[in-house]
Amino acid sequence: MTLAPDDDFAAAEFALGTLEAGERATLAARRLREPKLDAAIRAWEARLSPLAEAAPPIAPPADFLPAIEARIRVAAAAPAADGVATLHKRLARWRAAALGATGIAAALAIGFVAREATRAVAPKEFVAILQKSADSPAFVASINLDSRELTVRPLAAPAQAGKSYELWIIEPKLGPPRSLGIIDAAAVTRGPRLAAFDRAVVEDATYAVTVEPEGGSPDGKPSGPPVFVGKLVPVEP
Amino acid sequence: MSTAEETPKATEIAAASDDLALLLGRIAARDAAAFATLYRSTHAILYGVVARILTRGDASGEALQEAFVRIWEKAGEFDPAKGSPLGWMATIARNRALDEVRRVRPASLEEMPEGFEPAVETVDPLAARARSERLGALLACLGNLDADKREAVLLAYYRGFSREALARRFGAPTATIKTWLRRGLMQLRECLES
Repeated sequence: MTLAPDDDFAAAEFALGTLEAGERATLAARRLREPKLDAAIRAWEARLSPLAEAAPPIAPPADFLPAIEARIRVAAAAPAADGVATLHKRLARWRAAALGATGIAAALAIGFVAREATRAVAPKEFVAILQKSADSPAFVASINLDSRELTVRPLAAPAQAGKSYELWIIEPKLGPPRSLGIIDAAAVTRGPRLAAFDRAVVEDATYAVTVEPEGGSPDGKPSGPPVFVGKLVPVEP
Repeated sequence: MSTAEETPKATEIAAASDDLALLLGRIAARDAAAFATLYRSTHAILYGVVARILTRGDASGEALQEAFVRIWEKAGEFDPAKGSPLGWMATIARNRALDEVRRVRPASLEEMPEGFEPAVETVDPLAARARSERLGALLACLGNLDADKREAVLLAYYRGFSREALARRFGAPTATIKTWLRRGLMQLRECLES
Protein backbone atom coordinates (compact mmCIF):
# COMPACT_ATOMS: atom_id res chain seq x y z
CA MET A 1 0.00 0.00 0.00
CA THR A 2 2.73 2.41 1.02
CA LEU A 3 5.10 1.49 -1.79
CA ALA A 4 6.34 4.68 -3.50
CA PRO A 5 5.06 5.06 -7.10
CA ASP A 6 8.61 4.86 -8.47
CA ASP A 7 9.26 1.63 -6.57
CA ASP A 8 5.95 0.26 -7.76
CA PHE A 9 6.98 0.95 -11.35
CA ALA A 10 10.47 -0.47 -10.75
CA ALA A 11 8.82 -3.68 -9.46
CA ALA A 12 6.71 -3.85 -12.63
CA GLU A 13 9.77 -3.32 -14.83
CA PHE A 14 11.73 -5.93 -12.86
CA ALA A 15 8.99 -8.48 -13.55
CA LEU A 16 8.72 -7.44 -17.19
CA GLY A 17 12.52 -7.63 -17.50
CA THR A 18 13.22 -4.20 -18.98
CA LEU A 19 15.61 -2.93 -16.27
CA GLU A 20 19.25 -2.48 -17.26
CA ALA A 21 21.82 -4.73 -15.57
CA GLY A 22 22.74 -2.32 -12.75
CA GLU A 23 19.13 -1.44 -11.90
CA ARG A 24 18.16 -5.12 -11.94
CA ALA A 25 21.01 -6.01 -9.58
CA THR A 26 20.09 -3.16 -7.21
CA LEU A 27 16.44 -4.20 -7.08
CA ALA A 28 17.36 -7.89 -6.63
CA ALA A 29 19.35 -6.87 -3.53
CA ARG A 30 16.67 -4.51 -2.20
CA ARG A 31 13.86 -7.07 -2.43
CA LEU A 32 15.72 -9.27 0.06
CA ARG A 33 15.36 -6.57 2.75
CA GLU A 34 12.08 -4.94 1.63
CA PRO A 35 9.09 -7.29 1.88
CA LYS A 36 6.69 -4.79 0.27
CA LEU A 37 8.92 -4.42 -2.75
CA ASP A 38 9.32 -8.20 -2.93
CA ALA A 39 5.54 -8.67 -2.76
CA ALA A 40 5.04 -6.06 -5.51
CA ILE A 41 7.51 -7.88 -7.79
CA ARG A 42 5.80 -11.21 -7.14
CA ALA A 43 2.38 -9.69 -7.88
CA TRP A 44 3.64 -8.32 -11.20
CA GLU A 45 5.25 -11.67 -12.07
CA ALA A 46 1.91 -13.39 -11.42
CA ARG A 47 0.00 -10.81 -13.51
CA LEU A 48 2.26 -11.29 -16.54
CA SER A 49 2.99 -15.03 -16.23
CA PRO A 50 -0.10 -16.25 -18.17
CA LEU A 51 1.69 -14.94 -21.30
CA ALA A 52 4.06 -17.92 -21.02
CA GLU A 53 1.11 -20.21 -21.77
CA ALA A 54 0.50 -18.48 -25.07
CA ALA A 55 3.95 -19.00 -26.55
CA PRO A 56 4.70 -21.96 -28.81
CA PRO A 57 6.93 -24.61 -27.18
CA ILE A 58 10.43 -25.15 -28.60
CA ALA A 59 12.03 -28.60 -28.36
CA PRO A 60 15.44 -28.36 -26.63
CA PRO A 61 18.43 -29.59 -28.70
CA ALA A 62 19.14 -32.35 -26.16
CA ASP A 63 17.50 -34.28 -23.35
CA PHE A 64 18.63 -32.35 -20.29
CA LEU A 65 16.79 -34.49 -17.74
CA PRO A 66 19.80 -36.75 -16.88
CA ALA A 67 22.01 -33.69 -16.40
CA ILE A 68 19.41 -32.01 -14.19
CA GLU A 69 18.94 -35.16 -12.11
CA ALA A 70 22.73 -35.40 -11.73
CA ARG A 71 22.87 -31.80 -10.46
CA ILE A 72 20.11 -32.51 -7.98
CA ARG A 73 21.98 -35.61 -6.77
CA VAL A 74 25.23 -33.63 -6.62
CA ALA A 75 23.57 -31.05 -4.40
CA ALA A 76 22.76 -33.81 -1.91
CA ALA A 77 25.81 -35.97 -2.64
CA ALA A 78 27.73 -37.91 -0.02
CA PRO A 79 31.55 -37.98 -0.06
CA ALA A 80 33.28 -40.59 -2.26
CA ALA A 81 36.56 -42.50 -1.82
CA ASP A 82 39.22 -43.61 -4.37
CA GLY A 83 41.13 -41.67 -7.06
CA VAL A 84 38.53 -41.44 -9.83
CA ALA A 85 35.78 -40.98 -7.29
CA THR A 86 37.75 -38.14 -5.71
CA LEU A 87 38.07 -36.44 -9.06
CA HIS A 88 34.35 -36.82 -9.63
CA LYS A 89 33.73 -35.44 -6.17
CA ARG A 90 35.86 -32.41 -6.95
CA LEU A 91 34.07 -31.93 -10.26
CA ALA A 92 30.80 -32.16 -8.39
CA ARG A 93 31.93 -29.52 -5.92
CA TRP A 94 33.01 -27.14 -8.66
CA ARG A 95 29.75 -27.71 -10.43
CA ALA A 96 27.80 -27.17 -7.26
CA ALA A 97 29.76 -23.95 -6.70
CA ALA A 98 28.91 -22.78 -10.20
CA LEU A 99 25.29 -23.65 -9.66
CA GLY A 100 25.09 -22.00 -6.26
CA ALA A 101 26.71 -18.87 -7.65
CA THR A 102 24.11 -18.46 -10.34
CA GLY A 103 21.13 -20.06 -8.68
CA ILE A 104 19.43 -17.22 -6.93
CA ALA A 105 18.37 -13.91 -8.37
CA ALA A 106 20.07 -12.09 -5.55
CA ALA A 107 23.38 -13.75 -6.27
CA LEU A 108 23.62 -11.40 -9.21
CA ALA A 109 23.79 -8.42 -6.90
CA ILE A 110 25.75 -10.07 -4.13
CA GLY A 111 28.23 -11.62 -6.56
CA PHE A 112 28.70 -8.28 -8.29
CA VAL A 113 29.40 -6.46 -5.04
CA ALA A 114 31.59 -9.28 -3.73
CA ARG A 115 33.61 -9.39 -6.91
CA GLU A 116 34.34 -5.67 -6.73
CA ALA A 117 35.14 -5.87 -3.02
CA THR A 118 37.54 -8.77 -3.43
CA ARG A 119 39.30 -7.65 -6.61
CA ALA A 120 42.60 -7.34 -4.74
CA VAL A 121 42.49 -11.01 -3.76
CA ALA A 122 40.51 -12.27 -6.73
CA PRO A 123 41.02 -15.95 -7.56
CA LYS A 124 43.63 -16.66 -10.21
CA GLU A 125 42.92 -20.30 -10.94
CA PHE A 126 39.72 -21.21 -12.71
CA VAL A 127 38.44 -24.46 -14.08
CA ALA A 128 35.76 -25.34 -16.63
CA ILE A 129 34.35 -28.81 -17.02
CA LEU A 130 33.61 -29.33 -20.69
CA GLN A 131 30.82 -31.82 -20.94
CA LYS A 132 27.73 -32.91 -22.79
CA SER A 133 25.81 -33.72 -19.64
CA ALA A 134 26.69 -33.44 -15.97
CA ASP A 135 27.63 -37.09 -15.58
CA SER A 136 29.93 -37.30 -18.59
CA PRO A 137 32.76 -34.73 -18.34
CA ALA A 138 34.97 -34.97 -21.46
CA PHE A 139 37.69 -32.38 -20.77
CA VAL A 140 38.74 -30.21 -17.86
CA ALA A 141 40.12 -26.82 -18.86
CA SER A 142 42.11 -24.94 -16.22
CA ILE A 143 43.06 -21.32 -16.68
CA ASN A 144 45.44 -19.09 -14.79
CA LEU A 145 43.94 -15.64 -15.15
CA ASP A 146 47.24 -13.86 -14.48
CA SER A 147 49.32 -15.71 -17.07
CA ARG A 148 46.33 -16.51 -19.34
CA GLU A 149 47.81 -19.99 -19.50
CA LEU A 150 45.33 -22.63 -20.63
CA THR A 151 45.65 -26.31 -19.74
CA VAL A 152 43.21 -28.86 -21.11
CA ARG A 153 43.13 -32.40 -19.72
CA PRO A 154 41.13 -35.12 -21.48
CA LEU A 155 38.95 -37.14 -19.12
CA ALA A 156 36.73 -39.24 -21.34
CA ALA A 157 36.79 -37.70 -24.80
CA PRO A 158 36.22 -40.41 -27.41
CA ALA A 159 38.92 -40.38 -30.13
CA GLN A 160 37.51 -39.35 -33.52
CA ALA A 161 39.28 -40.97 -36.48
CA GLY A 162 40.34 -38.38 -39.05
CA LYS A 163 38.88 -35.56 -36.94
CA SER A 164 40.20 -33.08 -34.40
CA TYR A 165 38.65 -31.47 -31.33
CA GLU A 166 38.80 -27.69 -31.43
CA LEU A 167 38.24 -25.40 -28.44
CA TRP A 168 36.33 -22.10 -28.79
CA ILE A 169 35.80 -19.12 -26.55
CA ILE A 170 32.32 -17.62 -26.85
CA GLU A 171 31.56 -14.20 -25.45
CA PRO A 172 29.12 -11.71 -27.00
CA LYS A 173 31.70 -8.90 -26.76
CA LEU A 174 33.96 -10.92 -29.06
CA GLY A 175 31.29 -11.42 -31.73
CA PRO A 176 31.50 -14.87 -33.35
CA PRO A 177 33.17 -17.76 -31.47
CA ARG A 178 37.00 -17.45 -31.47
CA SER A 179 39.21 -20.48 -31.85
CA LEU A 180 41.61 -21.43 -29.04
CA GLY A 181 43.10 -24.13 -31.21
CA ILE A 182 43.12 -27.90 -31.43
CA ILE A 183 43.02 -29.90 -28.21
CA ASP A 184 44.33 -33.43 -27.81
CA ALA A 185 41.87 -36.18 -26.88
CA ALA A 186 44.65 -38.38 -25.39
CA ALA A 187 47.19 -35.97 -23.83
CA VAL A 188 47.38 -32.69 -21.91
CA THR A 189 47.30 -29.57 -24.08
CA ARG A 190 49.00 -26.52 -22.57
CA GLY A 191 49.82 -22.99 -23.72
CA PRO A 192 49.29 -19.24 -23.27
CA ARG A 193 46.37 -19.34 -25.68
CA LEU A 194 44.28 -16.73 -23.89
CA ALA A 195 46.95 -14.02 -23.96
CA ALA A 196 44.95 -11.86 -26.35
CA PHE A 197 41.80 -11.78 -24.23
CA ASP A 198 40.70 -9.40 -21.51
CA ARG A 199 40.42 -10.84 -17.98
CA ALA A 200 36.68 -10.17 -17.70
CA VAL A 201 36.05 -11.77 -21.08
CA VAL A 202 38.01 -14.89 -20.10
CA GLU A 203 36.14 -15.12 -16.81
CA ASP A 204 32.62 -14.69 -18.22
CA ALA A 205 33.00 -16.63 -21.46
CA THR A 206 31.51 -19.97 -22.38
CA TYR A 207 34.01 -22.57 -23.59
CA ALA A 208 32.88 -24.98 -26.27
CA VAL A 209 34.43 -27.90 -28.13
CA THR A 210 33.50 -28.83 -31.68
CA VAL A 211 34.51 -31.75 -33.88
CA GLU A 212 36.43 -30.43 -36.91
CA PRO A 213 38.28 -31.90 -39.89
CA GLU A 214 41.78 -33.10 -38.95
CA GLY A 215 43.96 -30.08 -38.20
CA GLY A 216 41.09 -27.78 -37.29
CA SER A 217 38.34 -25.70 -38.81
CA PRO A 218 39.26 -24.77 -42.39
CA ASP A 219 37.66 -21.32 -42.27
CA GLY A 220 38.09 -20.25 -38.66
CA LYS A 221 34.43 -20.86 -37.85
CA PRO A 222 32.93 -23.82 -36.00
CA SER A 223 31.81 -26.44 -38.54
CA GLY A 224 28.98 -27.69 -36.35
CA PRO A 225 27.30 -27.33 -32.98
CA PRO A 226 29.45 -27.76 -29.86
CA VAL A 227 29.76 -31.31 -28.53
CA PHE A 228 30.98 -30.21 -25.08
CA VAL A 229 30.50 -26.91 -23.27
CA GLY A 230 31.39 -25.39 -19.91
CA LYS A 231 31.87 -22.16 -17.95
CA LEU A 232 34.64 -21.20 -15.56
CA VAL A 233 34.36 -21.44 -11.81
CA PRO A 234 37.09 -20.37 -9.35
CA VAL A 235 39.11 -23.15 -7.75
CA GLU A 236 39.01 -22.74 -4.00
CA PRO A 237 42.35 -23.10 -2.17
CA MET B 1 -7.03 -19.52 -36.74
CA SER B 2 -7.63 -22.71 -34.84
CA THR B 3 -10.98 -24.39 -35.02
CA ALA B 4 -13.15 -25.20 -32.04
CA GLU B 5 -12.23 -28.91 -32.30
CA GLU B 6 -8.49 -28.18 -32.02
CA THR B 7 -8.86 -25.84 -29.08
CA PRO B 8 -8.65 -27.55 -25.70
CA LYS B 9 -11.64 -26.76 -23.55
CA ALA B 10 -11.25 -24.63 -20.46
CA THR B 11 -11.98 -27.69 -18.32
CA GLU B 12 -9.10 -29.58 -19.96
CA ILE B 13 -6.71 -26.71 -19.33
CA ALA B 14 -7.83 -26.58 -15.72
CA ALA B 15 -7.33 -30.36 -15.42
CA ALA B 16 -3.80 -30.14 -16.88
CA SER B 17 -3.06 -27.33 -14.45
CA ASP B 18 -4.34 -29.44 -11.54
CA ASP B 19 -2.05 -32.28 -12.67
CA LEU B 20 0.98 -29.96 -12.63
CA ALA B 21 0.01 -28.70 -9.18
CA LEU B 22 -0.23 -32.29 -7.92
CA LEU B 23 3.18 -33.09 -9.41
CA LEU B 24 4.69 -30.04 -7.69
CA GLY B 25 3.23 -31.28 -4.40
CA ARG B 26 4.87 -34.68 -4.86
CA ILE B 27 8.16 -33.04 -5.91
CA ALA B 28 8.10 -30.99 -2.71
CA ALA B 29 8.08 -34.41 -0.95
CA ARG B 30 11.23 -35.33 -2.99
CA ASP B 31 9.48 -37.62 -5.49
CA ALA B 32 11.99 -38.09 -8.35
CA ALA B 33 9.50 -39.88 -10.60
CA ALA B 34 7.09 -36.94 -10.32
CA PHE B 35 9.98 -34.64 -11.24
CA ALA B 36 10.73 -36.66 -14.40
CA THR B 37 7.04 -36.50 -15.39
CA LEU B 38 6.98 -32.75 -14.79
CA TYR B 39 10.10 -32.32 -16.93
CA ARG B 40 8.63 -34.37 -19.78
CA SER B 41 5.38 -32.42 -19.86
CA THR B 42 6.79 -28.88 -19.51
CA HIS B 43 10.38 -28.77 -20.79
CA ALA B 44 9.52 -27.61 -24.32
CA ILE B 45 7.38 -24.76 -23.00
CA LEU B 46 10.09 -23.62 -20.60
CA TYR B 47 12.80 -24.04 -23.22
CA GLY B 48 10.73 -21.78 -25.49
CA VAL B 49 10.61 -19.19 -22.70
CA VAL B 50 14.40 -19.09 -22.18
CA ALA B 51 15.43 -19.64 -25.82
CA ARG B 52 13.50 -16.61 -27.07
CA ILE B 53 15.37 -14.45 -24.58
CA LEU B 54 18.86 -15.95 -24.74
CA THR B 55 18.83 -17.00 -28.43
CA ARG B 56 22.14 -18.89 -27.94
CA GLY B 57 21.59 -22.65 -27.74
CA ASP B 58 24.25 -23.34 -25.12
CA ALA B 59 23.06 -20.55 -22.82
CA SER B 60 19.43 -21.64 -23.23
CA GLY B 61 20.24 -25.24 -22.31
CA GLU B 62 22.12 -24.05 -19.24
CA ALA B 63 19.26 -21.75 -18.17
CA LEU B 64 16.74 -24.58 -18.63
CA GLN B 65 18.80 -26.90 -16.44
CA GLU B 66 19.21 -24.26 -13.73
CA ALA B 67 15.49 -23.48 -13.87
CA PHE B 68 14.54 -27.13 -13.30
CA VAL B 69 17.00 -27.45 -10.43
CA ARG B 70 15.32 -24.37 -8.89
CA ILE B 71 11.88 -25.89 -9.48
CA TRP B 72 13.03 -29.04 -7.64
CA GLU B 73 14.34 -26.94 -4.75
CA LYS B 74 11.38 -24.54 -4.56
CA ALA B 75 8.44 -26.84 -5.36
CA GLY B 76 7.17 -26.52 -1.77
CA GLU B 77 6.78 -22.76 -2.21
CA PHE B 78 4.28 -22.99 -5.08
CA ASP B 79 0.97 -21.45 -4.02
CA PRO B 80 -1.99 -22.27 -6.32
CA ALA B 81 -3.87 -19.24 -4.97
CA LYS B 82 -1.31 -16.92 -6.55
CA GLY B 83 -1.19 -18.29 -10.09
CA SER B 84 -1.00 -21.33 -12.33
CA PRO B 85 1.75 -23.95 -11.88
CA LEU B 86 2.97 -23.30 -15.43
CA GLY B 87 3.08 -19.54 -14.82
CA TRP B 88 5.07 -20.12 -11.62
CA MET B 89 7.56 -22.37 -13.43
CA ALA B 90 7.83 -20.00 -16.40
CA THR B 91 8.61 -17.11 -14.03
CA ILE B 92 11.53 -19.08 -12.54
CA ALA B 93 12.85 -19.95 -16.00
CA ARG B 94 12.40 -16.41 -17.27
CA ASN B 95 14.22 -14.89 -14.30
CA ARG B 96 17.17 -17.23 -14.90
CA ALA B 97 17.28 -16.16 -18.55
CA LEU B 98 16.97 -12.46 -17.68
CA ASP B 99 19.74 -12.68 -15.06
CA GLU B 100 21.97 -14.22 -17.69
CA VAL B 101 21.09 -11.82 -20.50
CA ARG B 102 21.48 -8.75 -18.28
CA ARG B 103 24.74 -10.00 -16.85
CA VAL B 104 26.74 -10.60 -20.00
CA ARG B 105 25.17 -8.60 -22.77
CA PRO B 106 22.54 -6.12 -23.77
CA ALA B 107 19.49 -7.76 -25.36
CA SER B 108 20.28 -6.81 -28.89
CA LEU B 109 19.67 -8.82 -32.00
CA GLU B 110 22.43 -6.93 -33.80
CA GLU B 111 25.01 -8.08 -31.27
CA MET B 112 24.10 -11.73 -31.48
CA PRO B 113 27.14 -13.90 -32.08
CA GLU B 114 27.12 -15.87 -35.31
CA GLY B 115 27.87 -19.53 -35.58
CA PHE B 116 25.65 -21.45 -33.20
CA GLU B 117 22.48 -19.52 -33.64
CA PRO B 118 19.04 -21.05 -34.30
CA ALA B 119 16.40 -18.69 -35.67
CA VAL B 120 13.64 -17.75 -33.26
CA GLU B 121 10.17 -16.93 -34.47
CA THR B 122 8.12 -14.06 -33.15
CA VAL B 123 5.29 -14.86 -30.81
CA ASP B 124 1.72 -13.86 -31.44
CA PRO B 125 -0.15 -14.46 -28.19
CA LEU B 126 -3.38 -13.39 -29.86
CA ALA B 127 -3.15 -16.60 -31.94
CA ALA B 128 -2.88 -18.75 -28.80
CA ARG B 129 -4.48 -22.15 -29.08
CA ALA B 130 -5.25 -22.82 -25.47
CA ARG B 131 -6.28 -20.01 -23.19
CA SER B 132 -6.70 -20.17 -19.48
CA GLU B 133 -9.05 -17.72 -17.83
CA ARG B 134 -6.13 -15.64 -16.56
CA LEU B 135 -4.56 -15.51 -20.01
CA GLY B 136 -7.86 -14.51 -21.58
CA ALA B 137 -8.20 -11.60 -19.16
CA LEU B 138 -4.60 -10.50 -19.71
CA LEU B 139 -4.93 -10.62 -23.50
CA ALA B 140 -8.15 -8.63 -23.37
CA CYS B 141 -6.41 -5.93 -21.32
CA LEU B 142 -3.34 -5.96 -23.59
CA GLY B 143 -5.76 -5.44 -26.48
CA ASN B 144 -6.81 -2.14 -24.89
CA LEU B 145 -3.27 -0.71 -25.03
CA ASP B 146 -1.99 1.40 -27.94
CA ALA B 147 -0.32 -0.86 -30.53
CA ASP B 148 3.20 0.44 -29.79
CA LYS B 149 2.86 0.02 -26.04
CA ARG B 150 1.45 -3.46 -26.48
CA GLU B 151 4.30 -4.46 -28.78
CA ALA B 152 6.86 -3.04 -26.35
CA VAL B 153 5.40 -5.08 -23.46
CA LEU B 154 5.32 -8.26 -25.56
CA LEU B 155 8.87 -7.82 -26.90
CA ALA B 156 10.08 -7.30 -23.35
CA TYR B 157 8.19 -10.32 -22.01
CA TYR B 158 8.94 -12.80 -24.77
CA ARG B 159 12.28 -11.62 -26.12
CA GLY B 160 13.84 -10.04 -23.04
CA PHE B 161 14.24 -6.61 -24.68
CA SER B 162 15.65 -3.98 -22.30
CA ARG B 163 14.60 -0.29 -22.50
CA GLU B 164 17.72 0.35 -24.63
CA ALA B 165 16.83 -2.45 -27.04
CA LEU B 166 13.23 -1.22 -27.26
CA ALA B 167 14.49 2.32 -27.94
CA ARG B 168 16.54 1.03 -30.87
CA ARG B 169 13.64 -1.05 -32.12
CA PHE B 170 11.16 1.83 -32.07
CA GLY B 171 13.64 4.58 -32.94
CA ALA B 172 12.60 6.49 -29.81
CA PRO B 173 14.59 7.87 -26.84
CA THR B 174 14.79 5.55 -23.82
CA ALA B 175 12.93 8.18 -21.76
CA THR B 176 9.98 7.81 -24.14
CA ILE B 177 10.13 4.02 -23.84
CA LYS B 178 10.13 4.35 -20.07
CA THR B 179 7.01 6.50 -20.26
CA TRP B 180 5.30 4.01 -22.58
CA LEU B 181 6.12 1.13 -20.25
CA ARG B 182 4.96 3.04 -17.19
CA ARG B 183 1.63 4.04 -18.74
CA GLY B 184 1.20 0.65 -20.40
CA LEU B 185 1.88 -1.38 -17.24
CA MET B 186 -0.26 0.83 -14.98
CA GLN B 187 -3.13 0.73 -17.48
CA LEU B 188 -2.74 -3.05 -17.65
CA ARG B 189 -3.00 -3.45 -13.87
CA GLU B 190 -6.00 -1.14 -13.68
CA CYS B 191 -7.75 -3.17 -16.38
CA LEU B 192 -6.91 -6.52 -14.72
CA GLU B 193 -8.21 -5.35 -11.36
CA SER B 194 -11.43 -3.84 -12.69
